[in-house]
Amino acid sequence: MPPDKTVRTAASLPPAEQSQEQKMQSMISALWERSRHTVAERAQLLQSAGELWNDNRLDAATRLRAVDSAHKLAGVLGTFGLPRGTDLAREAEGLFGQATPPDKAEIERLQVLLAELTRLIDRGPNPTV
Amino acid sequence: MTRRILIIDDEDDIRQVAAMSLETVAGWDVMLANSGKQGIERASAEQPDAILLDVMMPEMDGPTTLLKLKASGVTSHIPVLLLTAKVQGPDQRRFAEMGVAATLFKPFDPLTLARQISAALGWKEGD
Repeated sequence: MPPDKTVRTAASLPPAEQSQEQKMQSMISALWERSRHTVAERAQLLQSAGELWNDNRLDAATRLRAVDSAHKLAGVLGTFGLPRGTDLAREAEGLFGQATPPDKAEIERLQVLLAELTRLIDRGPNPTV
Repeated sequence: MTRRILIIDDEDDIRQVAAMSLETVAGWDVMLANSGKQGIERASAEQPDAILLDVMMPEMDGPTTLLKLKASGVTSHIPVLLLTAKVQGPDQRRFAEMGVAATLFKPFDPLTLARQISAALGWKEGD
């Protein structure tokens, strides 16, 4: 079964579930506010690791921390209503986790996707979703 | 009947959102543990109806925790659902061979998590 990446919209639910959806959304929004600092720190770690990679100065321990941070972001962002963030973090996890050194195209791709990931996290979940 | 679920995950935000989901949507009682070691202790002492277990954790990871739970006569009967952000088929086959009841995927939908657990364990409303 593929992962369910999308938090459903309230409008797609029957009325009895809509209030439950709204209550849950409100609770998730509050939890996002509590978690966003940790989430942003993980994204910052990825940015720093990406810069080190670009300078050919990324050591093994930092690379493994980047894999771990990307994995955690992939697991949580979709639950908070950022499914695109999960996709980007999963791609970053794959790039940092690969056995062979990255080529120029992979480093460029990493920089682009990390920039988008950081923007998404800064913006936060769309309250209407 | 109120279900009692133990969530074992090292990530605070995942524990909190899963707990909120199961308590709010399904009305279940939720217990929390932030490590495999703490999870085994709580499972042994409090005998939950099911365990939701993260795969990637520092020190004792999910599969190791699962093996210990299944090896103990006190906890071997408790169904365990693994929660993972990895989607590779070989991992799922390995987990099934280790006695896991089901594998659920992160990110999960908080509105349907309880339904996914119930479906995986064959629980019906009002059981």
